[in-house]
Amino acid sequence: MSHGEIIAPTGFHARPRYLRHMEKQPTQFADRAALVAHVKALSPLAGDDGVSDTRGGRAAAERLLAAIDPTAYGHSRNYLDGAVTRLSPYIRHAIVNLNEVRNRALEMGDGKALEKFIQELGWRDFWQRIYAQNPDWIWRDIEAYKTGFAPDDYADTLPPDIAAGETESAAMNHFIATLKTTGYLHNHARMYLAAYIVHWRRVTWQAGARFFLAHLLDGDPASNNLSFQWVASTFANKPYFFNLENLQKFAGMDAPCDYHTNKCFGGSYDDLAVKLFPHMEAL
Amino acid sequence: MSRFIWLHEDCLRATHPVFAHAPQARAVFIWDDAYMDAMHYGLKRRVFIYETLCYLPVEIYAGDTIDTWRALQNMAGASDIITGKTPNPALKAIMQTLREGLQITTIADAPFVHLDAAKDDAGQLRRFFKYWNKAKKNAFLYDGRP
Repeated sequence: MSHGEIIAPTGFHARPRYLRHMEKQPTQFADRAALVAHVKALSPLAGDDGVSDTRGGRAAAERLLAAIDPTAYGHSRNYLDGAVTRLSPYIRHAIVNLNEVRNRALEMGDGKALEKFIQELGWRDFWQRIYAQNPDWIWRDIEAYKTGFAPDDYADTLPPDIAAGETESAAMNHFIATLKTTGYLHNHARMYLAAYIVHWRRVTWQAGARFFLAHLLDGDPASNNLSFQWVASTFANKPYFFNLENLQKFAGMDAPCDYHTNKCFGGSYDDLAVKLFPHMEAL
Repeated sequence: MSRFIWLHEDCLRATHPVFAHAPQARAVFIWDDAYMDAMHYGLKRRVFIYETLCYLPVEIYAGDTIDTWRALQNMAGASDIITGKTPNPALKAIMQTLREGLQITTIADAPFVHLDAAKDDAGQLRRFFKYWNKAKKNAFLYDGRP
């Protein structure tokens, strides 16, 4: 089947058919809406929070692979409009693998220009190796919080205003809406939102990780949860947090980052540390 | 007695080595709703996975993974299953259960870097730069090896 050409299956009508055991499920549909309807019928409890425009399949991955710009990535990757590849959902499910991506990058430049790009591929490899060695680290605190708080000081459930994207921060609301609509967030936006959930709202990293996994197309137990633990400080020597100046610098071109709609991030790092971690010794 | 490929969510590629290992085998993906619930996958992810499957040479069955493989064992003579290696403990547990009566062989994908296992501090990996100081020797080489 060529990419984008999805043909209607014969007799694709009656919902009870899906439930018959050992019946081959269709792989051809009249259009994407029919495919989505079929997935909803197979997974009636998966929710109905919309579908991403990002298409599945190897051909979509190959188009992105052909378009990577590792040198520009190295210069701009921390900015929300930087030259990121958007390959992560495909890497997550091995639709394309890290070896292919690295080999493609090697065709495009020398080692120095590729350094950051290939190192970021290394992060994915690192998380997978950790996962294989320590599968029990994925959902439990690997280390104690270094925030001055005990695990019980954090709420176990995600507050409804975060789930709905109706928080005090316009930037966080923008990130939440993007996450829920597209199934993707730039890595820096993930760090901001994760830090907001864990440190500003004092919610367990596990609750935040579940929220991300429910929406991210590339959500991976290792990359997602261990990164959350890095932000929380249960897999790092100190908590990750940020201030408004940092948010404006790296996200200002993408998200509403003015002070009046993001007051909670205002101030210096020292001021914020006192506010967020009042029981912690100086960072 | 038949050989099958079990294509699970960590090997959704027609060029994955499982296919080269068993080129004549029927490939099967099992749409296990309870598994995806346990993985916290929402509708967006499930559509992405299903759409990916539509471009693969794979038969899709809906049901519990273990029950479906038992049914394929009884109805189609499945005896020997080739599948992708995964770090996911839930998939590993399913494989372990299936080993009661079925032969399960896991095939690893091409690695990002070839690390010397003897110097890999197996079980000791904790901070990224300890890993990277070893990995970077091969990470900038084609296929991750000299």
